[in-house]
Amino acid sequence: MKQAIILAAGEGNRLRPFTAEKPKGMLSIADKPILQYVIEALAQNGIRNIVLVVGYRREQIFDYMGSGERFGVEISYVTQPNQLGTAHALLQARKVAGDEFLVLSGDKLIEASTIARFVSVAPGAMLLKRVDNPSRYGMVTVEGGVVKGITESPKETEGNLATTRIYALSKEIFDFIGTKLVISDVLNSMIAQGRTLHAYETDGIWLDVIYPWDILSLNGAVLGQIKAEVGGTTERGVFLKGEVSIGKDTVIRSNSSIVGPVIIGSGCDIGPNVCILPSTSIGDNVVIAPLSEIKNSVVGSDTAIGPGSIIEDSVIDKGCVIGGQFTASSGEAEVEIKRVRYTVKVGAMLGSGCNLGSGVVAQPGVVVGNYSQVLALKLIAGRLPDGSLVV
Amino acid sequence: MCGIVGYIGDKLAQPVLFNCLARLEYRGYDSCGIALKGSRLRVYKDVGGVKELERTAPLLEGTAGIGHNRWATHGEPSQANAHPHCDCSGNIAVVHNGIISNFQQLRQQLTAEGHRFASQTDTEVIPHLIEKYYQGNLEAAVIMVLGDIKGSYAIIALVVGEDKLVVARKGSPLIIGLGDRDNLVASDVTAVLDYTDRVIYLEDGDIGVITANSVRVTNGGTEVSRQESRVRWMVEDAQKGGYEHFMLKEIHEQPRVIRDTLIGWGSLAESAVDLAAMCREAESMVMLACGTSYHAALIGKHIVEELIGIRVRAEPASEFNYCHPVLAKTAAMVITQSGETADTLKATQKLKAAGCKVLAITNVMGSSASRLADYTVYTRAGPEIGVAATKSFMAQLMVLYCLMLSSTDAKASRLADLMAGVRQLPEKAQQVLNNESRIEEYAHHLSGYDNAFFIGRGVNFPIALEGALKLKEISYIHAEGYAAGELKHGPFALLRKETPVIAILAHDNTYEAMLSNIKEVKARQSPVIALVEEGDKTVGKLADYVITVPQVAPLFSPVVNTVALQLLAYYAARERGCPIDTPRNLAKSVTVE
Repeated sequence: MKQAIILAAGEGNRLRPFTAEKPKGMLSIADKPILQYVIEALAQNGIRNIVLVVGYRREQIFDYMGSGERFGVEISYVTQPNQLGTAHALLQARKVAGDEFLVLSGDKLIEASTIARFVSVAPGAMLLKRVDNPSRYGMVTVEGGVVKGITESPKETEGNLATTRIYALSKEIFDFIGTKLVISDVLNSMIAQGRTLHAYETDGIWLDVIYPWDILSLNGAVLGQIKAEVGGTTERGVFLKGEVSIGKDTVIRSNSSIVGPVIIGSGCDIGPNVCILPSTSIGDNVVIAPLSEIKNSVVGSDTAIGPGSIIEDSVIDKGCVIGGQFTASSGEAEVEIKRVRYTVKVGAMLGSGCNLGSGVVAQPGVVVGNYSQVLALKLIAGRLPDGSLVV
Repeated sequence: MCGIVGYIGDKLAQPVLFNCLARLEYRGYDSCGIALKGSRLRVYKDVGGVKELERTAPLLEGTAGIGHNRWATHGEPSQANAHPHCDCSGNIAVVHNGIISNFQQLRQQLTAEGHRFASQTDTEVIPHLIEKYYQGNLEAAVIMVLGDIKGSYAIIALVVGEDKLVVARKGSPLIIGLGDRDNLVASDVTAVLDYTDRVIYLEDGDIGVITANSVRVTNGGTEVSRQESRVRWMVEDAQKGGYEHFMLKEIHEQPRVIRDTLIGWGSLAESAVDLAAMCREAESMVMLACGTSYHAALIGKHIVEELIGIRVRAEPASEFNYCHPVLAKTAAMVITQSGETADTLKATQKLKAAGCKVLAITNVMGSSASRLADYTVYTRAGPEIGVAATKSFMAQLMVLYCLMLSSTDAKASRLADLMAGVRQLPEKAQQVLNNESRIEEYAHHLSGYDNAFFIGRGVNFPIALEGALKLKEISYIHAEGYAAGELKHGPFALLRKETPVIAILAHDNTYEAMLSNIKEVKARQSPVIALVEEGDKTVGKLADYVITVPQVAPLFSPVVNTVALQLLAYYAARERGCPIDTPRNLAKSVTVE
């Protein structure tokens, strides 16, 4: 295979507020967008001709990926104006598609080894992965290495092989799309008409984000693989243990303690006396004031966290200003997403551009919409829509 | 203002020259041309852009050649006036950027000696002079010619029979790109990035002799060694990556530009020390710049006066050159994106001559401004291709904020708020971009008018100027920026239903006065588009349209307002079908006075 078509037009609206302003593939995991993991995996397997099907907030993908030069690939863009489905998205790429190509999702995190063998198979194949909770995925029935059918989010389990939504296809697929909107339907109809779709399994990383707290588990999984690399400045008395990666122009001030796996971006100002515990990702241009503790959390770029804060199992998006003594401790919480309630162990989930006064306490499971404002000393809980003002 | 390129090596020169020229289109694009040296010299040139020329040009053989993008100064854009220019024999070809001030006199003299001129350009005297002095050594002839000509120049010359390019620089930019089996010359680093990241910046007075595998530079008759630099810009930066226009791409890059400035804040600390030293000895400061950079200087005046507490005068560099300023105990700051703006360079020389310490803010490493100034701060905007300045302006603002926040002795409580607020600016700018589709709607209304006013007060008065400049330069809608209080002293006569007014508000001490101004304007029937922060309850009742921007400290309001006005101008221009990246009569950096 020489060409890959990546579907990156979707929003992933169960992930709000984190996707309210960006495509799902641009969600940052360990300081890199998911889409970048996909592109890097392809580049490492020698696939440099990449077509990105973009739609929702496509400018953010343009701004970050550009022409692909930075990742050693050549990117061309195709727009899917309305996100009707994966097959419809693929159809938009018909004009630029070669005779055979890989199709991947831009919002499932993979690594080079995930697709290392699959990139050289003949067209008419699908990559599968064994999973624990089939109801979240498209499940595949396989006989003798050949796919018999795909069932989306089955109620009853019939095996544990899920589709990774990575396919090796020839341009014949375009003739089968017709008015079908979803690739699984197209493939089922191809199988029904006697086409053969080979099944391949992978044991490499393949991770999907569906709910906001999935960001934490993905972050943990990826951080498990990072290597220590210290740029920037660490002042006297800084204690680093385990795999800790620190970007250039970052200052870690005295007596701070960082236990890896932890990744910290560029241009941050952290400490003195700050404690960062596994598995935490911190973006670029972040300030963490003295005497704060952050554990198993994700902090986006351009965020400032006031002194004496405690943040556990939490996701704080870009550009937040948080006053001192912020408490977001972890606990069992019921979180409602699209009228379904889930019980998870989680801290706070803050959208981008929020301003919190000092002394705010967040109940476990609180979801704060983008650009919200919370005055000092407030207790926040439940789900706050974008632009909320808590007085 | 023109772009010149040269190539000598083992490849066919023509495609290389066209590629380099395409990257220099921002320097001029009314006509262009190439000259290739095979067994004889072949020239192909015409009116129009590089793409058109590339399409119509026959394949000219040769592994050495020169090329030129023209922006007319002497003589209209025409095929005859396009470069390269040749001598009478057609064996010598020259491309030139700059102005030969004594060309009339030289031309008369050469005509009397029997030389025949084909164009009205100042440049054409150079190949004829070379012909006059040429005795088998191009370098020797060029040295003689440089003795005769006055003015500014970057020149590349070639002659049939010698496998080399001879280059010279005085007052116009010129760099050499070092390849493995070839070498390149160009006005600007961007041109050669597809082929090499190793470059040499030439100095004024340098003469270079370049072959496929050697570069020799002399200055004043002695050989000099000029340091080789590695360019950190990626070529990707110079491409459109998904967007329809460079301008929109560059508007969208601003959150990253802001973040990059903040990430590099640590490295600005040294400059802040220099600045503090400058200010300690000074009682006042002058800030000089041209065009959009001048608007950055006007905002700089507010920032410096508020955070440093020193008296500041901000002036267009072009005016400063004709006044008689009192410069005792004065620190100076000059701002130029390209570092080559002629007026700003001239003002810098004047400042230096008066004994002022000068700090230059520029986007281009090794540019003339950085070499003239005592201290240089580089903005981190990357190359800017759209002629209308967007991200470079933002980078200038951010440098001013960071420098002054590092040097201020403002009260600790206020400073802490500003420090947290400045970190948030990338996200705030992103938030304005997220509102793009709404701004596009307002731009649609605006595009139907032929005249518009932009009004603001305080730190947003320069933003009114900048908003008007953006609109007029790319959409060709006549727009004027006014201090809101000045509108009633004359321009009121122009207000009517067909004259929209864009009012820029901030929640600072100017807010109430701006509300009165909006009422005054409404009373004259003009439609009002107001720019105001989210959550404002009053302005919506007064204005016809309201564009909201995120809340920031008033000192930072220029950042969010600028992004909104850039989008407004961009979409108005797109609606009107204007050539946004290459507006008529404009070039990216203006290297003539």
